[in-house]
Amino acid sequence: MSTVSIGLLPTGIGEPVQATVGRTARYLRETWLLVVRSLRTVPRVPERLSDVTIQPVVFTLLFLYVFGSAIHVPGLSYQNYLVPGLVGQGVAFGVIGAGVATSTDFTSGVIDRFRSLPITRLSVITAQVVGQMLEQILGMMIYIGVGLAAGWRPQFSTAGLAEFIGLVLLGVFAFNWLGVLLGMMVRSSDAMQGIGFALVFPLSFLAGAFVPISGMKAVPRAIGNWDPLSAFVAAMRHICQGTNAQGSWQLEHPIVAMLGWSVILIGVCVPLALRRFRRVESAI
Amino acid sequence: MPEPAVLAEALSKQFGDVVAVDAIDLNIPAASVMALLGPNGAGKTTIVRMLATLCEPTSGTASVCGFDIVREADAVRNAISLTGQFAALEANLTAQENLILMARLRGYRRRAAAQVAEHLIDQLDIAEFKDKLVKSISGGQRRRVDLAASLVVKPKLLVLDEPTTGLDPRSRQAVWSAIRELVTEGVTVLLTTQYLEEADELADQVVVMDHGRAVASGTPPELRAQIGDHRVDVVVADPADVDRVVEALGSRFLLTLDRARRTVSVPAPNEAVELALVAQELKQAVIPVDEISLRRPTLDDAFLALTGEPSTTVVEARDDFAGVPS
Repeated sequence: MSTVSIGLLPTGIGEPVQATVGRTARYLRETWLLVVRSLRTVPRVPERLSDVTIQPVVFTLLFLYVFGSAIHVPGLSYQNYLVPGLVGQGVAFGVIGAGVATSTDFTSGVIDRFRSLPITRLSVITAQVVGQMLEQILGMMIYIGVGLAAGWRPQFSTAGLAEFIGLVLLGVFAFNWLGVLLGMMVRSSDAMQGIGFALVFPLSFLAGAFVPISGMKAVPRAIGNWDPLSAFVAAMRHICQGTNAQGSWQLEHPIVAMLGWSVILIGVCVPLALRRFRRVESAI
Repeated sequence: MPEPAVLAEALSKQFGDVVAVDAIDLNIPAASVMALLGPNGAGKTTIVRMLATLCEPTSGTASVCGFDIVREADAVRNAISLTGQFAALEANLTAQENLILMARLRGYRRRAAAQVAEHLIDQLDIAEFKDKLVKSISGGQRRRVDLAASLVVKPKLLVLDEPTTGLDPRSRQAVWSAIRELVTEGVTVLLTTQYLEEADELADQVVVMDHGRAVASGTPPELRAQIGDHRVDVVVADPADVDRVVEALGSRFLLTLDRARRTVSVPAPNEAVELALVAQELKQAVIPVDEISLRRPTLDDAFLALTGEPSTTVVEARDDFAGVPS
């Protein structure tokens, strides 16, 4: 089919389908287009994926083979102790990935263009979350793959596996929304990177992913006992290896606590992020 | 009378204590070009953002093609295309991929979107770099892609925020001819610019802005009548000679002085005539001169003529994004 337009504007090339489909169909279509857009950019800037590819490999190998030789956990091999913990604290790193991607988009003007289009605005922010979730899921799979190769042996039933996958997805989803919210509030991706690391790094080390909280000094132990990430770490370990932790209510009921923290994060961040997105404005 | 493309009444926007746009009235007839002319910080971009539904006015009303920019924002977005000041393209996609994405988001099916992209690549001379990532093409090329991205559907109103700032003369001409072509195809254009020449070349109506206010408005000939035409600039080598130039020319011309630049400026409605007269006078007075030149009036001259004072250039915060300052 050849185009029949003679002028600068494309005319006679079929009509846009937008008017003919319902609102939900439009929303899904637009979200899909925007997710594909962000996935397409991945091979062009592979280094942007380093936080979900290189970092899991480095963390796993570093702790297993460098620090692990000096860490002894009673009743568990260090592989079985470490890998579920890494997955548990790893969900929080989504804050950095999602935050940096969001602040980059918002400072580049490309989001302005999307917002000036007749597309559902919810699709723009949904695509942001979905795209980041896919990246984080890749990171989780790398943790699991490297862990299995290094000798991690999870012991769960099919129901346990489903529970494991469900909780990981929920955690990733919750922290991604926090990242999107922070990404919209912070004005540069460098600042977002800094804030993300300052927030996530200490909490992940205090969460008992690498060494037991019970062996820490009083102050870090107190923080670790109530660090939200500790619940994620303890929940993963409970599901994968059947271990039980002590020290605080949330550690004794890690699955309920992990669900609770995720719901709180989602309940706070989603409405705030949506509100912020709707009224993102310029400030001279 | 056909409905105006843009109708704004007392449109205002305040950010905290700063009044960015102060009671602006606009009436842009369909298929015409309106230029908002002013320095950085004059409020041009804020007007554009309000009309493009990216931020809401603090007070006043505006409609685009009859749709209210606040209550009927969806309909407004359907009628407009915005090309922002900062090329709003995905830097890590190619020019072609960006255009296809925009066409898809505008509702074209895959095949049609590819054809639309192909057509625009052809029309706007993008073919040469269509497979390059946008981050690796030049500023002028990026503007062309950006403009193309705004044209995947025929907009009723095309909003161009400083479409030629930072472009070389050839790229500027290319953008200008594209704009003229679009107007003949029935598109209404609202553009902002810091260049008097650009407003003069393209616009049917010009609104001159400073500090969020309209300081003058009219057709280019009307404004030219107020601003005056060309000027002859005399630059002397020795600062002390400025006074001698004033002495030699002061009785015949209304002079403007810029001592810091050792420049005396003479209005030249008849262009070469005044140029010759000035040169003759200086020759007779035997004043050594660095440079004599005939030039078009600049935005600064316009402000001087229209407001009696020079434009105040405020550094405008990058206001493509968003966060409210804490």
